[in-house]
Amino acid sequence: MLQPRLLAPMRALERAIAPSLRSVQNAYRPQSILPRSLTASLSVPKTTPSIPRTLLPFSQVRFASHASQGTANRHSRDPAGKRLGAKRTGGEYVVPGCIIFRQRGSKWFPGDNCAMGRDHTIYATQAGYVRYYLDPERHPERRYIGVVFEKEGRLPHPRNAPSRRRLNMVTTPRAEPVTHQSDLVASIDENGTQVGSVEAVNAESGPQLRPGYMYREANWVIGRAAEKAGITAKSYDRNNRWLAWRKRQARAERAAQMKSLKGKKKAPKKAK
Amino acid sequence: MAHCERASKPLLQCLRTTYTRSLPAVQARGFQSSAAVAEAQAEQTQPFHKNPDPSLVSSPRLERRLMRQGTNPIGSRRRRAALQSSANLPFEQLPYQCFQEARKVLLEDRTEKLKEIESMRQKIARVEAQTVEEAGGEQVQKSRVRAMQLHLERLKIHADINDPLVKRKFEDGLGDMSKPIYRFLADRKWREYRRKILVQRITQMNVVPDVLPHCDPIVETKLYFNKRQVQPGDYVEARVSTEAPKLDIQMFERGEKLVTIAVVDPDVPNVEADSFDFKMHYLAVNVPISAVNTKVDLAQLAADSQVVLPWLPPVAQKGSPYHRLSVFIMEQKDSQPLDFAAVKAKETDRDNTLLRTLQARYHLKAIGAHLFRSQWDETTLEVMKEIGYSGADFELRRKRVEPLPYKRRNPSSFR
Repeated sequence: MLQPRLLAPMRALERAIAPSLRSVQNAYRPQSILPRSLTASLSVPKTTPSIPRTLLPFSQVRFASHASQGTANRHSRDPAGKRLGAKRTGGEYVVPGCIIFRQRGSKWFPGDNCAMGRDHTIYATQAGYVRYYLDPERHPERRYIGVVFEKEGRLPHPRNAPSRRRLNMVTTPRAEPVTHQSDLVASIDENGTQVGSVEAVNAESGPQLRPGYMYREANWVIGRAAEKAGITAKSYDRNNRWLAWRKRQARAERAAQMKSLKGKKKAPKKAK
Repeated sequence: MAHCERASKPLLQCLRTTYTRSLPAVQARGFQSSAAVAEAQAEQTQPFHKNPDPSLVSSPRLERRLMRQGTNPIGSRRRRAALQSSANLPFEQLPYQCFQEARKVLLEDRTEKLKEIESMRQKIARVEAQTVEEAGGEQVQKSRVRAMQLHLERLKIHADINDPLVKRKFEDGLGDMSKPIYRFLADRKWREYRRKILVQRITQMNVVPDVLPHCDPIVETKLYFNKRQVQPGDYVEARVSTEAPKLDIQMFERGEKLVTIAVVDPDVPNVEADSFDFKMHYLAVNVPISAVNTKVDLAQLAADSQVVLPWLPPVAQKGSPYHRLSVFIMEQKDSQPLDFAAVKAKETDRDNTLLRTLQARYHLKAIGAHLFRSQWDETTLEVMKEIGYSGADFELRRKRVEPLPYKRRNPSSFR
């Protein structure tokens, strides 16, 4: 808080001058009692503290930056703990997604069957038993957290050993993907409104009650209206530059039109 | 440039162009006179647009026609266009003094190197002619000869590496791989990028510890399905991979090698054991490769002397994780042929043959690798039915993992 650099030489200076000062003060004291009671602006007492007054301001000023450095009882202002650290100890059983370690930065790295989350959290990707280990062949300094399948399994595995994996899958009869197009339909009965899917064959039969309480055809039927009506558009030919020029021109015209409209809208606003 | 010169430049250029076209035997092919003569006769009979020269063609249409015929245009289009209008003088006649001085230095260096090569050859012959006692032991003699041969190879490369024509030929893809300099350049080019990609793919996809403990590729391997190249690690459709692939195995060493080629899938799902099995999709032994003889068609190898296990089309069951089909080129010990009948009798089981086992049993060493992947797609079901795959009607689904039981917190321990 105080400025020791400035103070040290000053103190030395003071010490050197002090004996003479004291003697001066002593000499003037009897005289100085009287004028002090009269006024402070007398010449005699002003001369005596002239040297200490030049020294003292350095030791007594406290700048704003100093005050912001903190107070004596800092610990009373500590934030709440973030509950970091190990959530599962070595050897504990975990399932996929189970958080093993919470940390700030990568103090630990994910090893076998583990992964690192967005905030460097280590979590398990396979069911098994947690291992905390070092793997100097992989990295000389990193600490790893891994999951092994067997209770007595050890990590790290030798580098050239085939990786140990689990399938974690079951066979089921193969589901055929639905080929025909279906659509969402709403039906109202005593149970309330129910939204269900209808096969393409039924969906095509005409307007039905659809979500949003509308009797209408399916969106994809509407989209195919032109096809049903036999309206064909000429397919775009890249080499037809005349067509391309007309299209480009039309687009430019439309853009110009929109721009002019935009200007018109703004004009009354400015008038207000 | 004077005004008259500037004005006459296009005219001169035009004249020069016509001159080049009309006399290709003399001007256009200054480097290889023998090839140019034959070509000139063909060209004189036909106009350029009918029979475009791959080293001169610059219009995209003619290039396309050439490529359809099967010959790729040489070099960049910019260079070909420049060659059309250049006098195409050989290096000796170029009128640049500094250039000619530099060439002299290079030529001197080359003659020096050739002398060194000759002397080194004589030295090697001398050491080899010595008796064991004179040389100071068999081991000493062997190591000396070996070191001298290595030095000789290095000299051969140093003799040619500064030759601009060698560089040009290599960059045009016309390099003769029977010569050490082109092998050296090709090896260097491969190691600069393609090999790094390959090594990265086989290590990141864990092929190397899963299938083999170690692999240091020294031959470049390209894989083609239906004439289309597959990059290492690409997904290949099941329909495409029903036929055995073609390999292009480029060796960068002298001589011939006998190799064993194996295609292994380490990702066959095994639901009962809750793990993965291996499957050998292809195995062939005694395949000769060399620096000039690079093409190996896995479907065309001799069934009675090379193919131990013929090609089995890879299919991935629906829902299963992707299958890594790893191709390994394994050098046989001392390039000695394996006993085909014995191997064929022994290796009949596709499922329970590990490549590690084979490697130990036949003293093989992996010198090349490649990798492609397969997964369930629209064509897989047809292929499964064609090859009689048993699990075609089933798919794999994720097994539900039982969550951990809820741990009751003891409220009294809370503050």
